[in-house]
Amino acid sequence: MQIACDGLTDVGRVRADNEDSFRILDPLHLFVLSDGMGGQAHGEVASSMAVETIVNYCQDAKDDPNATLDKLPSQQWAEKTTRLESAVQLANSKIFQAAQKNPEQYGMGATLTAAWFDNGRLSIAHVGDSRAYLLRGGNLQQLTNDHSLVAEQVRRGIITPQQAESSEIQSVLLRALGAHAEVEVDIDEVGIYPRDVLLLCSDGLTRMVTEPEIAGSLQAETDPHAAARKLIELANERGGIDNITVIVARFQEEPKNWFSWLRRGPAKKD
Amino acid sequence: MAKLSLMFENKLVKEVPIGSRPVSIGRSPDNDLPIDNLAISNYHARVYYEGSRLVVEDLDSLNGTFVNDLRVERATLHDGDSIWIGKHHIKVDATADAAIPWDSGRKAAAPKINETMVLDTKARRDMLQQAAAMGERSQFSPGRLKMPTLVVLSGKVNQKEYVLTNKLTVIGKSPMATVRLRGWFKPPMAAQINQRDDGYYLGTGDKVPTVNGTPIQGPTRLNDGDLIEVCGVRLNFIFRE
Repeated sequence: MQIACDGLTDVGRVRADNEDSFRILDPLHLFVLSDGMGGQAHGEVASSMAVETIVNYCQDAKDDPNATLDKLPSQQWAEKTTRLESAVQLANSKIFQAAQKNPEQYGMGATLTAAWFDNGRLSIAHVGDSRAYLLRGGNLQQLTNDHSLVAEQVRRGIITPQQAESSEIQSVLLRALGAHAEVEVDIDEVGIYPRDVLLLCSDGLTRMVTEPEIAGSLQAETDPHAAARKLIELANERGGIDNITVIVARFQEEPKNWFSWLRRGPAKKD
Repeated sequence: MAKLSLMFENKLVKEVPIGSRPVSIGRSPDNDLPIDNLAISNYHARVYYEGSRLVVEDLDSLNGTFVNDLRVERATLHDGDSIWIGKHHIKVDATADAAIPWDSGRKAAAPKINETMVLDTKARRDMLQQAAAMGERSQFSPGRLKMPTLVVLSGKVNQKEYVLTNKLTVIGKSPMATVRLRGWFKPPMAAQINQRDDGYYLGTGDKVPTVNGTPIQGPTRLNDGDLIEVCGVRLNFIFRE
């Protein structure tokens, strides 16, 4: 599978600082996005700490396949998924400890959404209200559940999704990195097919731009850089109340050999 | 005259009457209602009369002040309300006062734009659960859990039926597909079923599936009993208790 990917971040139209962080580690096919919180630039500290920790942990794992796992490998999940989960827990304790040591950083935290592609499978680890989406055959599917109070209320049927969009408590999270000594990490695995498009984004995008619009932009722009730029422009046009970060990864088939050419006919020009 | 009772885990800690002077609440010992807990700001909140209305005001505290289950910056208090600060709560007893009409406008704190916060104390979470128990309207209510299931009616696949547990279900030949098609020239991903908040949607893959004999045009919501056909495989979508 070939992967074309790019990510962009933008401060938005209202805030003074960008507290989002992201990293794309192309050789590893690792995508990490984090949205920091806690005033006076500490959100930025938390989110970059989260991203760096996870990238380093996964990099070490690649360089040394025998690197110790914090958790026992499980039957249910692939090794990469378990490793990603451990990485997120490590990031949580680093942020938590930093916040305990430095009183002025008390209360800092971050969301985290990470995806790691390996051998046809995408491992996902997630805490907070950033999101991962998969566009497949024109269908945009959210792969993560928001850990926000409003999302929980929707899941429990207390309020409708429409009420949630206009809720005043959208910023209240139920889980985040750095809030407690330990964190429960959502993990998942998804099989990836050619022409799938993965999107990771911070809530600065999803609060401003609707899902059909996101799907439309991802389908209209086949170049990941152009798609990312388009999404950020859309969010800014709507007001850009928060920092906006997007990572777009487009999965493509390996160049076809003659046998598959026989099976499917000549490759379509994208 | 109204009074405030500071409670911790349902035990009364202290009672103070509210007079003409504001009652201050915080970690610092010089408050009228001192609460010695790290989750509480030095000068956390105050309660005072504004005309005949009893008002609580958050003093820009770090972890916030909640009235019943809303985070507030300022709110009118009513008899029987609870003010939650960290793990403590303060009962409001205003029985001696004239009743204050409910529509006097409780305003939840608008989310400060640069402040995302994490819901912290256990009490908040318990409260959410209580609220959920009362307002349980969800189709996923425990006890009558309905599992969406695909029953294979005909065609070559690897199982007789499939319970849809994932957000994404793929029908195809790929080894990652949930419903694995067998046989030559079957596409890796013939069709897909996506779980959304309001139900399950059938979408196209390399083929266009039919639902009850009609080819789908874009994502189609599946209903109990629908007949899906793709690549010579016929599947019955049902909710099983």
